[in-house]
Amino acid sequence: MPFAPRLTTDRRRLRRWAIGTGVLIGALPVAGLTAATTVPDDAGEPIRIGVSLPLTGDFSEPGEGIQQGYDLWAADVNAAGGILGRPVELIYRDDASDVNKVVSDYEQLISVEDVDFVFGPFSSRLVIPASEVAEDEQMVFLEPAGAAPEVFERGLEFLFYAAPAVADEHYDYLADYLTALPEGERPETVAVASMDDPFAQGTAYGLRDQLAEAGIEVVADEVYPPGTTDYSNIAAKIADTDADVFVGGTQFEDAVGLLRAFEELGYRPPYMAFSTGPTLPEFTEAVGDARNGILSPVGWSQEATFESNPEFVASFQETFDTDPHEDAANGYTVGQVLNQAVEAVGCADSSEECQTSVRDFIRDNEFVTVVGPLSFDEAGRPEQAHMIQQWIDGEVEIVLPAGSDVQTAELITRD
Amino acid sequence: MTRSLFVQAIVFGVLTGGVYALMASGLSLYFGVMRIVQIAHPAFLFLGAYLTYSLHNALGWDPLLTLPITVPAFFLIGVAVQRLLLARLRDENRAMMSVLLTFSIAVVVEGTLSAIYTGSYRSINLDYASKSFELFGARVPYDRLIGLAVAGLTLLALFSILKYTRYGRALRATMQHRDAARLVGVDTERVTAVGFGIGLATAAVGGAVLSIITTFFPSGHWEWIAKLMAIIVVGGLGSVGGAALAALVLGVTEAVVQVWLSPVWAGMVFYLFLFLTLIFRPQGFFGGRLAQRF
Repeated sequence: MPFAPRLTTDRRRLRRWAIGTGVLIGALPVAGLTAATTVPDDAGEPIRIGVSLPLTGDFSEPGEGIQQGYDLWAADVNAAGGILGRPVELIYRDDASDVNKVVSDYEQLISVEDVDFVFGPFSSRLVIPASEVAEDEQMVFLEPAGAAPEVFERGLEFLFYAAPAVADEHYDYLADYLTALPEGERPETVAVASMDDPFAQGTAYGLRDQLAEAGIEVVADEVYPPGTTDYSNIAAKIADTDADVFVGGTQFEDAVGLLRAFEELGYRPPYMAFSTGPTLPEFTEAVGDARNGILSPVGWSQEATFESNPEFVASFQETFDTDPHEDAANGYTVGQVLNQAVEAVGCADSSEECQTSVRDFIRDNEFVTVVGPLSFDEAGRPEQAHMIQQWIDGEVEIVLPAGSDVQTAELITRD
Repeated sequence: MTRSLFVQAIVFGVLTGGVYALMASGLSLYFGVMRIVQIAHPAFLFLGAYLTYSLHNALGWDPLLTLPITVPAFFLIGVAVQRLLLARLRDENRAMMSVLLTFSIAVVVEGTLSAIYTGSYRSINLDYASKSFELFGARVPYDRLIGLAVAGLTLLALFSILKYTRYGRALRATMQHRDAARLVGVDTERVTAVGFGIGLATAAVGGAVLSIITTFFPSGHWEWIAKLMAIIVVGGLGSVGGAALAALVLGVTEAVVQVWLSPVWAGMVFYLFLFLTLIFRPQGFFGGRLAQRF
């Protein structure tokens, strides 16, 4: 009996050696065969998409919103059988709203995780450094929230902003409306206050410059740093000019801080426009009735009947038990563009060949998305336009473009 | 800059400075009793704002009526944090280690707030929040005036406790010379714990005021710590009265620079004052010989 175990062990060793050799020998011709034909060896393997998002820190709120959009898109795609028959898997990193962290995140996702595609983070401040990494690695960089002019002025070839319009064109419809008003009704002065942030400034300065070009005088033009805690003095300076139009290049806190201070100062011009803040659900709780008459550009509407949008709204409501928002819609849009491009091109890997052909397809074609049909110019700028929303009697109405399918009410002046 | 705009800036500066004074008073007290830097103070201000928000929403109370609940609660949290964590730091490297320890406390408070309330912006919108009256051609908002009044009353109460009560004498003795105080029979351990509790209790009041005048989100507290630290250094570390005066001076200067130059320059005011203080009068401009002596 003492020998029995030993014998067994030896026999096992022998068998293992035999099997090993057999597999090795057998594998040689098989490997040659795979290389020679075009049968993808990764069929059924998930398509892995790397994303860094600001899930904590200053941008955590919109960051999580974008994540909901990405997650919902992946779930919807997987429920419908995946892309090219392969399921989609999202790999997240949290960049803590930090421009250094976002760079190392993408470097790691691309070189260590070896993901097949990347999606962008939230906000121009993070998109700008992150997109440089993707460009160096020759990876298509579809992003949901980098709309500032600087994003597109660096000659990048792999970047695409998957939303209807870049920042400085957000207010185009409002600019057209105000400058076309008849003499007498037309505003004569405009005051601007903007956060020192590429996106916020892009939106506000787009409108400011168009109004100034049409002969409307710019009587105040303020910039304040992110993280400002008190807006009353900035508001006092604006109110002192008593301008007919106020344009706020804002995120949320500053939109609320400025509007509250304007109310306290008794400054109520006929036209007041703020970016971002008034489109968020928390706005009502923060400012109450002061929101009436406030104008904002909006890239997506729950009511819009664009192909795939009603399905997106229903799916979001079912999954998250609440109404969708613009950030989620933008995240979803990124997924939709990639999905359609990959299906058309027929490859999904990080090779230069595949990434280049996906890039070329995106640049030359129009895509069906929840924010409407989308196409891009040479620099990756979208070529469509933002709608203008206005709070009227406690409801969000789409007031511009006038006469279009999406318009739900006429634009009003504040008292 | 028109004259009315200048007056308006002064008015806003005083209103804001009063709130700064309230928020900085706790920081100054911590340093006084323990020689520690409490990075987590603004995080507790935000915790106070969130608790006020919850009580306001659940019970419909005015934010200021929640103080009888939040102030004692914060006092107890303060005593617990001092006894269980800060008291365990060794004397020789306490100032340095307290920065690390309270930094981690701030992160824990922020993380807890994010987990419970999410990253969304919260705010309390009251009937009187956007109303104001006119004074010398400037608008004075009621909510800000209430904030200033609450700050003034709290500081007055704090000052009275320190100046006129038996406990206050023991506390001041502990601040001035811990060993000597112990020799004459002061239970310095207990006095320190209570002092820390009082410091944190001011964060509950500050949080309630914050919830009335602004919107808040979990990571917002980082914007405050630098300003408040500058205030207590300019005012003289450990001096509650000095911190209050410095807060008013800095608040008004910030406001005037905001309208006269630009909001970007206004952010520098605090650092400029900080540098000038460290160069010319490191013990602070308005009191506190503490920094020099210890």
